[in-house]
Amino acid sequence: MSAEKRFEDVVDLDGPGLWTTSVGSFPKPDYITRARSQFARNEISREELFALERKATREWIEFQDSIGTDLLVDGEQYRGDMVAYFAEELPGLDMGGLVRSYGNRYYRKPIATGPIGRDKPITVEWWQYAQSLTDKPVKGMLTGPYTIMDWSFNEHYATRRDFTLDLAKVIRDEALDLEKAGARYIQIDEPAASTRMDELDLVIEAMQIVTEPLSAHTITHICYGDFHKAYPKMLDIPVDQIDLEFANSEYSLLDEFSDAPFTKAIGLGVTDVHSHEIESVDEIADGIRRSLKHIPPDRMFVDPDCGLKTRTVDEAKEQLTNIKKAVDVVRAEL
Amino acid sequence: MTIETTVVGSYPKPPEEGRPFTVRKTLHAIEKGHATPEDLAKAQDDLVTEVIREQEAAGIDLVTDGHARWDDILTPFARRFRGFEIGGLLRWFDNNVYYRKPICTAPLEWGGPATVEAFTFAQSVATNPVKAVIPGPVTFARLSIDEHYADHQSFVLAIARVLAQEAFELEAAGATVIQIDEPALLDAPEDLQLAQDAIYLITSELKSAESILATYFGDAKRLGPELFDIRVDGFGFDLISGPENIQLIRELPAEKKLQAGIVDARNTKLEDVEALSRQIEELCSTVGDDRLRVSPSAGLEFLPRDKARAKVERLAAAAQKVGA
Repeated sequence: MSAEKRFEDVVDLDGPGLWTTSVGSFPKPDYITRARSQFARNEISREELFALERKATREWIEFQDSIGTDLLVDGEQYRGDMVAYFAEELPGLDMGGLVRSYGNRYYRKPIATGPIGRDKPITVEWWQYAQSLTDKPVKGMLTGPYTIMDWSFNEHYATRRDFTLDLAKVIRDEALDLEKAGARYIQIDEPAASTRMDELDLVIEAMQIVTEPLSAHTITHICYGDFHKAYPKMLDIPVDQIDLEFANSEYSLLDEFSDAPFTKAIGLGVTDVHSHEIESVDEIADGIRRSLKHIPPDRMFVDPDCGLKTRTVDEAKEQLTNIKKAVDVVRAEL
Repeated sequence: MTIETTVVGSYPKPPEEGRPFTVRKTLHAIEKGHATPEDLAKAQDDLVTEVIREQEAAGIDLVTDGHARWDDILTPFARRFRGFEIGGLLRWFDNNVYYRKPICTAPLEWGGPATVEAFTFAQSVATNPVKAVIPGPVTFARLSIDEHYADHQSFVLAIARVLAQEAFELEAAGATVIQIDEPALLDAPEDLQLAQDAIYLITSELKSAESILATYFGDAKRLGPELFDIRVDGFGFDLISGPENIQLIRELPAEKKLQAGIVDARNTKLEDVEALSRQIEELCSTVGDDRLRVSPSAGLEFLPRDKARAKVERLAAAAQKVGA
């Protein structure tokens, strides 16, 4: 965080802390899944799909408001893969064929075939729409430059660094456009950041380019890696908040915080997003209490471990509801 | 002279653009209760047949079934061997690919063949020999959680014993080449002595099948030439992610074979056949053409189907050029 940007001035949410939020994606209701495949087969128009995506976005905003979420997301009803969504819009990146990520899940992996640029804002219109539906703040959601690089093929750039830094400039411009539109919370996801410890410096260098000119509260989400190796170095990533999965690893990262205190605001992932079993309110409350021994409530945001898009709509709602109930329980104890 | 070609293991499951992706559809249908495990087995049989024919048509001499039935290299074994449960998703080395972490909760027992039936099917539809692939005991242990054994060494050796039984059965089913994958060994030089003991438990079960210890995703310089004390017939190296492996290859003992990964299995940029040929010639002059087999740098499932096919075609064309 830059010297002139004070946490209290930027984060103006109600209450003593322990704010509830989400990592980004929500499951798509069946009518969106159906509409997306109909659109792919040219059976419905872009406008018809768009209208349904707006409807689903509105429903998710209404749901978050109904349970009292503090910091909202738009749920990404109009996005497929988090890298492809940006790659499709960026000159220099072409969409490649399908590759498998795990099980029966496949995604189109982009290919860098020329210098990366940006013709126009990508996420601003959706952010404006979502924000128009609620009085609570909605996060701007971007995929980080390192992750786009790491999850793409490269047929153009001489080095991974060159590729990443060009992407950083593009994502910075997108973040600035979000800020200009009024976004006060901007999340730049770097799930790949914990992959290669020898490239953590590149993650930091690229993030510096993105966040340096921003006055918004900046967040990054990191997942699926060897956090124990990445910590405490990950604290050098120039963002105000780091969002991490705790439920999936049974809060093992908390042990690290005893040796090297966590110095930023935290996004505390308290529900496992890859399990059909949903943590009880008691379990979640217990996890929050354990975490409060290391991080004060006014630096803590509570959310699921990761995006919820692989859950069913009902499972996602139950996770979010339980999180909110658990937060209320613990808030009452503060 | 002939330069033999092979693949490391996996092959993309998706079809080329525009063709039906039956395995994926069938798995979705099973989730909804609209298809049966038999439907899936049929779709997987068809996929195995297709990827074997594709490798053969491209000019690959020693093919695999493309791991067409596997989610990852550990799960099919962990499901079959007694003592393992299947845990959560973790990243597969430095790739945007995930595997399910096996959790050992009880003494490990073989419990019957995990991959023999699939191998037999693959061999029945192949014209060329099919290479059987098993995970190595060190990699298996390092990517699992052990809640049962007292220490890492006992866990690795216990895994090796059940893998040895699997390897024995694979040879009995007709496998002439068995590849043991040890990518995790590259970052675990402290396990090298243990790897020697553990892998010998496996290879000592084999009568005549050739055993290859495959490494990928990096270089083996931290292991050094002591790696060659592991009692296998050959070693596989990734020369894309680990260009420094060439130093080690110069020290390959005379009786050992080399599986040289020279085509990038993790990037779509297609290699130039001329450049590949020159590289193969250099490798020939280092180890001799009779002990050289060339391959992609790792399993090909990191690539889209069309790129994987183009890559093996170029690999085979380069090998043929040198052999001509």
